[in-house]
Amino acid sequence: MTTDRDDRIHAAEFVLGLLAPETHAAAERRLASDPAFAREVAAWQKHFAAFDDTADPVVPSEELWRRIEAGMGTAVAAPSAAPAGLLPRFWNSLGALRIAALSGLTAALALAVVTTVTVRHAQEVAARKPLYVAILVDDATRQAGAIVNAFADGRVEMIPLVDMTVPAGRSLQVWTLWNREVGPRSVGLLDRARATPLDLERLPTTTADQLFEITLEPAGGSPTGRPTGPILYKGTTARTL
Amino acid sequence: MVADPSSDQAALEAGISAAIVRCAAGERSALRVIYDLEAARMVGVAMRILRRRDLAEEATHDAFMRIWRSARSFDPSRGSARAWIYTIVRNQALTIVRDEGRFGPDEPADREIPEPSSALARLPESSALRHCLEKLDPGRRSAIVLAYVHGFSHGELAGRLGVPLGTIKSWIRRGLVSLQECLG
Repeated sequence: MTTDRDDRIHAAEFVLGLLAPETHAAAERRLASDPAFAREVAAWQKHFAAFDDTADPVVPSEELWRRIEAGMGTAVAAPSAAPAGLLPRFWNSLGALRIAALSGLTAALALAVVTTVTVRHAQEVAARKPLYVAILVDDATRQAGAIVNAFADGRVEMIPLVDMTVPAGRSLQVWTLWNREVGPRSVGLLDRARATPLDLERLPTTTADQLFEITLEPAGGSPTGRPTGPILYKGTTARTL
Repeated sequence: MVADPSSDQAALEAGISAAIVRCAAGERSALRVIYDLEAARMVGVAMRILRRRDLAEEATHDAFMRIWRSARSFDPSRGSARAWIYTIVRNQALTIVRDEGRFGPDEPADREIPEPSSALARLPESSALRHCLEKLDPGRRSAIVLAYVHGFSHGELAGRLGVPLGTIKSWIRRGLVSLQECLG
């Protein structure tokens, strides 16, 4: 027990930044190899993080972003695109997106479902790489509900990640919004959650930051041509590498 | 419910989390999203440690470079996204402060000294951290708050609080033990 307690205090001193440089570096390396220690560190970080929000914001000079932007070019985040690297890279980002969207508590059970679904889809999705991907998330629970993939040839598809409950007499309707003046356009209607192509043929080409959402509507679709029911999941497109 | 601050926090957390993932995919605009949401607060956190705006911006710059390069190593299952980026900016600020020396010859030691109780008073009333810190002996509490919020080293704490180095180390350790028991 003493060892556990010592480790816990060591983790706290690491978080506080009180360890000598060599000890600090050793603790940092230990994070990768010792999950129990990493958990202790994360727990302390979470506790002390409350202090970060008590700092007065200091608006940085214009210069700061320019320097960061310039630095991004030299500090490459992802490996260069090579066919062999495509699958793992996409899988990594998909896996991380999935976990990020689930963010924390709700995860365990949903994760099992999502993992099964995404493992099945990852390979075929990666084989024909989409230009844009949107992760549609439940605003309240932060749970990822579906992925929208938009391909270079104009095809767009929606892949559900969870089994959405559709009451009798209702449908799932998929919408996209690329222009606030035009408003949302219906691009798909489903009786239950399933992978489906979306109909965007008559719409402008899908771009970055285009909103997709799934709402619950009366069977047969919204009577008004606009979303009327609750938004189940929504998200915006991001360009893939 | 819309005004519930905890749901705002949850939304911010999810937004940052998603942006880090997009950074990992090499998407530059995602780093800008993090910048727009957090940069001012990050400079503020670094300012409390470095007390010089130019150095605080330097630490924030270094932190963004590190976020960009290390986004793929971010593991949402291990901790929160915001805690991750603030850990990075704090570490960059601590690296600078340890390198520069807080009380260098060009910086008089009598310059405004941070007050540990002010950061504590800014924590929400409902904060478990606040509640548990308030239960500590004042010396132990001050040492822990000055270490986290202002990045004081053991040596600096000894000087600031006017007690021997060994006493500081023991205050910190005992304070952390009590804190751990209280936070559960």
